[in-house]
Amino acid sequence: MIGVTPPAYDPAAPESATILPVGTPATVRGYVRVLLRRHRGAFWLLLAVNTGAVLASMVGPYLLGGLVQDVSSGAQELHVGRTVALFAVALAVQTVLVREVRLRGAVLGERMLADLREDFLVRSVGLPPGVLERAGTGDLLSRITTDIDRLSSAMREAVPQLSIGVVWVGLLLGALTVTAPELGLAVLIALPGLLIACRWYFRRAPGAYRSEAAGYAAVAAALTETVDAGRTIEAHRLGDRRVALSEQRIQEWVGWERYTLWLRTVLFPAVNGTYTVITGSVLMLGGVFVLEGWMTVGQLTTGALLAQMLVEPVGMILRWYDELQIAQVSLARLVGVREIEPDVGDGAVEPDGREVAADQVRFGYQAGSDVLHEVSLRVAPGTRVALVGPSGAGKSTLGRLLAGIYAPRTGEVTLGGARLAEMPAERVRRHVALVNQEHHVFTGSLRDNLLLARTTARDAELWSALAAVDADGWARGLDAGLDTEVGSGGLALTPAQAQQIALARLVLADPHTLVLDEATSLLDPRAARHLERSLARVLEGRTVVAIAHRLHTAHDADVIAVVADGRINELGSHAELVAADGAYAALWRSWQQ
Amino acid sequence: MQIRDLPYPDPGRPDVRSGRHLLIWLGRNQLAGQIKATLWGLLHMAAVASFPIPVGLAVQAVVDRSGTRLALAGGLMALLGALSAFGDAMVHRAVVTNWITAAARIQQLLARKTAELGAALTQRVAAGEVVTVSTGDVEKISWFVEALSRFTAALLTTIGVCVALVVYQPALGGVVAMGVPALALAVLPLLPRATRRADEQREKAGRATELASDTVAGLRVLRGIGGEELFLTRYRRASQEVRVAAVRSARMWALIAAVQVVLPGLLLIGVVWYGAGLAHEGRIGVGELVTVYSAVTFLLFPLQQFEEIAQAYSFSRPSAQRAARVLALRRTEPAVGAEEAAGAWHGQPLGGDLYDPASGLAAPEGRLTAVVCGDPDAAGRLAERLGGHAAAEEPDTAGKEPSVLLGGVPLDEVPLAVARAAVLVQDKDPVLLSGSLAELLAVPCSGAVPVARALAAAQCADVLEALARSAPRSDGAPPDPMSATITERGRSLSGGQRQRLALARSLVTDPEVLVLDEPTSAVDSHTEARIAEGVRDLRSGRTTVVLTSSPLLLDRADRVVFVRDGRAVATGTHRELLGGAAGYRAVVTRQTEAEHQMAGPAPRCVPARDRPEGGTGDAAVRAERKPDPAREDSEQIEESA
Repeated sequence: MIGVTPPAYDPAAPESATILPVGTPATVRGYVRVLLRRHRGAFWLLLAVNTGAVLASMVGPYLLGGLVQDVSSGAQELHVGRTVALFAVALAVQTVLVREVRLRGAVLGERMLADLREDFLVRSVGLPPGVLERAGTGDLLSRITTDIDRLSSAMREAVPQLSIGVVWVGLLLGALTVTAPELGLAVLIALPGLLIACRWYFRRAPGAYRSEAAGYAAVAAALTETVDAGRTIEAHRLGDRRVALSEQRIQEWVGWERYTLWLRTVLFPAVNGTYTVITGSVLMLGGVFVLEGWMTVGQLTTGALLAQMLVEPVGMILRWYDELQIAQVSLARLVGVREIEPDVGDGAVEPDGREVAADQVRFGYQAGSDVLHEVSLRVAPGTRVALVGPSGAGKSTLGRLLAGIYAPRTGEVTLGGARLAEMPAERVRRHVALVNQEHHVFTGSLRDNLLLARTTARDAELWSALAAVDADGWARGLDAGLDTEVGSGGLALTPAQAQQIALARLVLADPHTLVLDEATSLLDPRAARHLERSLARVLEGRTVVAIAHRLHTAHDADVIAVVADGRINELGSHAELVAADGAYAALWRSWQQ
Repeated sequence: MQIRDLPYPDPGRPDVRSGRHLLIWLGRNQLAGQIKATLWGLLHMAAVASFPIPVGLAVQAVVDRSGTRLALAGGLMALLGALSAFGDAMVHRAVVTNWITAAARIQQLLARKTAELGAALTQRVAAGEVVTVSTGDVEKISWFVEALSRFTAALLTTIGVCVALVVYQPALGGVVAMGVPALALAVLPLLPRATRRADEQREKAGRATELASDTVAGLRVLRGIGGEELFLTRYRRASQEVRVAAVRSARMWALIAAVQVVLPGLLLIGVVWYGAGLAHEGRIGVGELVTVYSAVTFLLFPLQQFEEIAQAYSFSRPSAQRAARVLALRRTEPAVGAEEAAGAWHGQPLGGDLYDPASGLAAPEGRLTAVVCGDPDAAGRLAERLGGHAAAEEPDTAGKEPSVLLGGVPLDEVPLAVARAAVLVQDKDPVLLSGSLAELLAVPCSGAVPVARALAAAQCADVLEALARSAPRSDGAPPDPMSATITERGRSLSGGQRQRLALARSLVTDPEVLVLDEPTSAVDSHTEARIAEGVRDLRSGRTTVVLTSSPLLLDRADRVVFVRDGRAVATGTHRELLGGAAGYRAVVTRQTEAEHQMAGPAPRCVPARDRPEGGTGDAAVRAERKPDPAREDSEQIEESA
């Protein structure tokens, strides 16, 4: 087999466009510089102990060279005792420093890694709500799990090991030149071959390893999905197809394994050959020089032993350089989040009053195709407005504009006369909150799950918030009360309980306007009815815009807006709309059977 | 096995008695690969180990001022260099092949096991274990498989070098031969603790990742309500804990590294001390001293393999144990040898009325039957029963309840695949598998229902539009939604969109009997009304059972069965039951009984079997309505859209 071409299918190629940006090389470089500058103390310390360790390791070859010289020149007194003592001291120093190098390397790597993951989360939680709504959290999630994971070994090992390797090689070459400058020449002979091979390899390797890793991840992902969808797969008799899919994934992955194996099949002999050439040329050239009387046997021995020592650091550099190349892609994905424009909040804009209004609003997710067309709606403080209409009509989009999550393309959405789009998210949410079907229970204590809405709240306030949504009953029954661990890994809450937690958060956050995006539709009817009582209490005294899938929600509203094709077609109270006998009235009759 | 021939046509039957058995089974299946890797490893190491010989020869030649012998040493060196480079590449290829074939084999076994277990797996704790084996354990097991041959080669080489040294230079070689075992074993006592610390670190890192992904998953809540700082603080704490644990673990590995420096160093000092004396007395040549010195330096290399195999084994043993446990799982159900046990089934196609003796629920052939069940969990269980071969959580409770009958044939007794083909149960939470929309809808089916018709019946027009926007564009042609990618579990779609696609998939299948559990719970009323029409039209003449409490669906069913406490208590049309069956109105509409009493006469309980089909319902309620408002309403909705 001469040569393997890379497989045609690349599992690392993005299937759908990456939603969040990926960092440009300049951003990545800039970030790495900042990171190194932040930890320059630890970095220099690592280099210092490393230099010491390498110097100590070179004592052995020097001493042996000296001995060889003495023996071969027939010296009377060998001073073996002194040599051994020096050797022992050097060994002690080397032992201590090698331990330090490993430790300092880990300390540096771990600090940079911790910084990196914390920086990323800081950036992520600062993302504008509109970006999150549009991009979803899937992309962020894969960045914080897969990419951080991939970077871990790179940061933990590659950066320290590479610095160690480079210093080591430099010192060895220096020592070789000091011992016998002529031998430096011998090393140069081996260099071109190595450079050519490395160039060939590093052009292909990073991309190939990325594909290989993605291919392997796809093997596991296919299986995970089969496990997750067990019922569906059995019901639809898809078992055989899933097996076939898994095998197809294995084949795709193995194709990349085969390619990277070929890359190494070329690189390894080249590197091995280099070692042989270095040692060989040092000995042969050096031997000739000694025979010619240009240098001594001792110098030759020391030089040959030093040249042999090059094997380890060169291998180290090659190995970790590989890793660093792969890590760079992950780093770019993490750093990319920094390129998203943060909220452009105008500190000066403050609402005056509580009226929420949309005025001639147009909005679309993509240029050239608007979802909302000149929608105007005025919601007086304390009233309840229900938005009803078929899927895809624009109800949810309108709700998000009223909650300040998206900014209108033209027209304006105002709260108390001030434009929502000009306020930072932190200010908007003091006044308006969007409540959707997503009622995430965070991993952690029940207290943390409530505190997020009002971080200064005392336990008594938390309990009264729970009481307000009828949740204090089961909450008091918990063994550890507010300290009970909930969420994944902790106590699993029922969907109804999770929804109550979400409502209790609203009680604590206390915004005067709520946008409800079918907050109870995913629940079973009995739980929903129970929750509606809790919800009703939360809604008391607030302005409410409810996006309703179920008509009974609409029935109780002060004003019902029927949204169709991005426009408000009917607007009025339940009685008015039923009397008008339009689409709403028709639906109401059918539902009310 | 060449890796280009993977995957295996048949991964074989693993020995799952224990983790050790599984490892042995894997090893036996790639015996040739292991032997090959060991032989190449021997060649490589022997060549590297022999390198000190030409080095010593060269030095000695120079000392003796012999140019010829220097050239000879150079030639030997070139030969050994070529051998070692070739051997290294080949041993690498061989061990990586062993790694890959082992990993591929286990992954294939897992895929087959998972497909075999199907629905039974989701109910077990084992589901998480399967994923753990696939994502983490396979690599650890394969690591051991890979390291094994390298270790064998290292062991043989080490012994060989020691023996050769003793023969070559008995005095100096003896010192080395005595020192090496100590070197090999010295770090072993440190390994368990180092591994433990590494595990602690991994556990903490896992926890931190979990916190981070949890925070990101709930980010919209955080951004909408607040509390970012609270969660950042929490994460920072976890992240710093990881850092501390990692440094603690590194401390141990640093100690091991130091031991690996000091012990060989001491041996080297011994060699120099003793050897220098010997050389000075003229008992050995200078070149021999250099050779022994280089040989000791070389021995560090195979010694590392000793450490690696110890680590690989300690990591892979629990992994192999778990893999064996997962691969030993079986579907527990009464009819395992169903083919023979199928007394009532003689291979003819299944059909006819569906009847559940346990609840008394009957769904006549060719009709649309709606089932109202007060308790959603009970509805889920009922739906599962209707499909036969229910994957019971407790193996011993299975089989106690009599099987559902389809045309008089007990479904539990026909082969699983036949039962699933006859009755399709779409549960409350159907999963959309990732892939293109075309792949999603390419399920085994009768072929009678075109994809476009199913999509239209399930009201998927807006889903198609949304998907078309994300579909790959080919030049000029309009984007095709069928080629758009659906991400895992359809997360890129809304709950309602997912539900409608799943419904379309079930409609395409076109089974003899279709059971739908709450198929429209996340769909708005407008769309739900249209779906009800669409499903009724598309399934006309076929048996369909819908478990729901939505009046929009119930109103369009041929008959409605009200199930309470696991028994069918009333049967009739939606409007009949509204007036007649106790508790029915409360479940179906949001009115309480008290409100209803004010609106109309008190409900009468109508026993299911006593009622003639299509009998009059509650006249008082009906009198307020137009003769057939349901049809008109839907027409009006069509117009308004």
